Amino acid sequence: MRKLLVGVVDSVKAKSIQFIITTSFTLVTVLVVLFVGVMLYSKFTETAEQNAYLNTQQILEQVKYNLDSYLNGTTQIFELVDDKIRRSQSISSEKLNEQLEAIVETRKDIVSIAVFSRKGELLMGTPARAMRKNSKLTDQSWFQSAIDDPNNLSFSLPHIQNLFKGEYTWVVSMSRGITVKGPSGDVQAVLLVDVNFKEIDDLCQRVGLGKKGYVYIIDLVGNIVYHPQQQLIYVGLKNENRSLPLKYSYGSYVDDSGKEKRLITIKTVDQLGWKIIGVSYMDDIATTKSEISRFLIWLLIVVSIIVLFVLSYISAKISRPIKMLERSMERVEQGDFTVNEPIRGSHEVEQLSLRFHLMVAKVRELMSQIIREQEAKRKSELEVLQAQIHPHFLYNTLNSVVRMVGIGKNEDVITTITSLSKLFRISLSRGKSVITVQEELEHVRHYLIIQKMRYKQKFAYWIEAQEEVLSCRTPKLLLQPIVENAIYHGIEHMADPGEIHVSASLCDGKVLLQVRDNGLGMSPDVRERVLAGTYKSEGGSGVGIRNVHERIRLSFGDEYGLEIESELEVGTVVNVWIPCRRDDEGQEG
Amino acid sequence: MGAIKRYGVYVLLLAAAIAASVSWYSRTVDSAPDKKKTVALIVRMKHGDYWRTVKLGAEMAAKEYDLNLNFYAPDYEEDSQSQMELVNQAARDGYDALVVAPSDDSVLQEAISQTKGGVPIIALDAEGERAEVAGYIGTDNYDMGKKACEKMIQLIGKSGRIALVGTGRGKEGATRREQGVRDVIAQNRQVELVASRYAQPDKKLVGELIRELIQSEPDIRGIIALDAGTSISVAEEIEKLGLQEKVKIVAIDSPLEVLEYLQEGVISATVIQKPFSMGYLGVKYALDASRGAGVPSRVDTGTKVIDRENMFWSENQKLLFPFVK
Repeated sequence: MRKLLVGVVDSVKAKSIQFIITTSFTLVTVLVVLFVGVMLYSKFTETAEQNAYLNTQQILEQVKYNLDSYLNGTTQIFELVDDKIRRSQSISSEKLNEQLEAIVETRKDIVSIAVFSRKGELLMGTPARAMRKNSKLTDQSWFQSAIDDPNNLSFSLPHIQNLFKGEYTWVVSMSRGITVKGPSGDVQAVLLVDVNFKEIDDLCQRVGLGKKGYVYIIDLVGNIVYHPQQQLIYVGLKNENRSLPLKYSYGSYVDDSGKEKRLITIKTVDQLGWKIIGVSYMDDIATTKSEISRFLIWLLIVVSIIVLFVLSYISAKISRPIKMLERSMERVEQGDFTVNEPIRGSHEVEQLSLRFHLMVAKVRELMSQIIREQEAKRKSELEVLQAQIHPHFLYNTLNSVVRMVGIGKNEDVITTITSLSKLFRISLSRGKSVITVQEELEHVRHYLIIQKMRYKQKFAYWIEAQEEVLSCRTPKLLLQPIVENAIYHGIEHMADPGEIHVSASLCDGKVLLQVRDNGLGMSPDVRERVLAGTYKSEGGSGVGIRNVHERIRLSFGDEYGLEIESELEVGTVVNVWIPCRRDDEGQEG
Repeated sequence: MGAIKRYGVYVLLLAAAIAASVSWYSRTVDSAPDKKKTVALIVRMKHGDYWRTVKLGAEMAAKEYDLNLNFYAPDYEEDSQSQMELVNQAARDGYDALVVAPSDDSVLQEAISQTKGGVPIIALDAEGERAEVAGYIGTDNYDMGKKACEKMIQLIGKSGRIALVGTGRGKEGATRREQGVRDVIAQNRQVELVASRYAQPDKKLVGELIRELIQSEPDIRGIIALDAGTSISVAEEIEKLGLQEKVKIVAIDSPLEVLEYLQEGVISATVIQKPFSMGYLGVKYALDASRGAGVPSRVDTGTKVIDRENMFWSENQKLLFPFVK
């Protein structure tokens, strides 16, 4: 979890690869999904609308077909009844009555069959029931139509059958003019067959268009034949605009005059000219729309979340090795050339890391090579300087010897030459650069003997050594330049006799070689410059002390070397620190 | 190991995200049908064209406004005890709004205590002024009485003696109708209310009452009946006595018997209410109220005077014969 948080924080760094990959890919994915979503949405909704339209069309076609076939059926019944009456001998014959009763009984939807004279008197009726009073029979539309146009079968609007006693029934009346054989010849009459309206009512009520949609039927002039909300229309709670559908026989249009948009579809029943009008509410379709859009929004959110997770994972995987590489480089930048762990990741990054490590190794190699070369160079330089001591010293000593010979001091000559010879033997040491402390002290003693010859009573010297130090190993010719310095710079120009103490001791596990004089001493400034090798004394090379210091440090490290304590008019103490080594190990050629 | 752990975290988070969104989505889809409101309709009686028509109107509104309609009715009218039980039953079944046609005030009181003001109540076919009731929908009975009396005056030729037959119970609707009748008579000097009689809605009792009335007031020219049941009984007795030509009857409501007497000429006119509108508007306003919309506190669904002349006009047929059988 912490890792993820870190990842999130990392990816917030707007320029990181992880952030760029995650955001750009997420953006692209979201845009693509959005685009596809919008395309699908428009296509879906278009299809949904088209389906709703087609659905309505088909349902209405079905209603029309059912209505047509039902009306055809009832028309056939009417023709049958008409035929029976025409064929019978008398309108009141027993046989006809039976036949008609059979028809009424087999067809549940036939409410009654009746024949009326043109004056409205009942000539015959099945089933036989008493007439009601006040029925205004001759005023009724079916009677009027049969009188006005006796040869055409007419269908009335649904109305309440109020002619016969019994229940009041909703019927559609079929009527036509007819000629019947009465007791006194042919009589013009009206044949009435009342069909129960329930069949048609059921047919229409069963039709649902969407959740709220419905079907209604109007006749040629706009009277309502069937409407599920007929009561609401009559009491004025609802209004159905019937004028527009009247203009169409077939077709559909969108009616947005009311609060809700409605799709009105119209079909016409051929036989009667009744118009079946389907009303479907657009918000049913809109529900589909909102469902689709809700689905798409969720799809978008889910896909975005998934993509975000997957991409942040992938981008983290891609960017992690790069970050590791960056960290390696940082370490190299800070001077750590030991980095070498291989970085796993994509091929490119692995190659990059491989090349980088090869490069670092090469740099490392070159650096150590340079160090080695530098050291070798320095050493050879030192050796050259070391070699230079000899001729200079030899020249001075020989000069003294010549002078001593001149004044006949043979004793001194012998001492000087003997010391010189010993000095050189130790100097050469069969080519070894490392000698024992004893030999080194011996060397410096001979040197001092020689110098004492030159300077006579100018100075006195003491050499002391701890027993255990004598066998320690030391680079040769360490002390001689120091003693030389003490004589030339400390004592030579002094009026009083000088003292030089040379000692060797063991201190804190290190060998301490000390040269102490009571000479002129030096200022702290000069002391600093002597050790730094920048002090140039007259006559001297100016590198003697510095060389010793350098040689020790090159051989043994920075913890060893020279320390100079000096006070003007008091004297100088030079401490030479070297490691205490007795065997041959650690020696350098 | 670390990589596996990290992988696991990602997979887990991914799975959680998918699960969360899927459940969220399915919840929003599932919750859609639950948004449908439920309206409980409690009327006074299971049978009878009047209440069936109320139900028909309610069902029409339920279909139009896409809501669930629960219908409750006792077996007999005026059975306020059963109706109170139905109010409790409906409360147990749950509803977003209650439409009740109370038999008496106690039923309405029960409904108010059940809902405790949390659910709107629409009182149907009742009159009142209770603040807890969101709206009263029904007939203006005073106006109905006035219309009946005015029709009677027109029928008897503006002068003569008439009688009033009530239900015998202190029903608020009938009282208001009677008040309407009396107020009209008070303005017509030539019309005299000779008697007002009250009977239980029992044919025999009403028959006796009418015979007494005819005996004591032989020159009576009209009788106004104040409810449907009484109307039928009065018409039956008058027909038995053969007085249908002499005594005009103005009835209330339109049960089939009344319509038959109307067509046969025994009853001269009837003042009808509009139960379909009541049912329809009751549910419609109940829905509005449950959504927090304001509804009118009083809705008069209106009345109509029907006589032999107009009873078969097409716009009246649907009012008088609401059912296609």
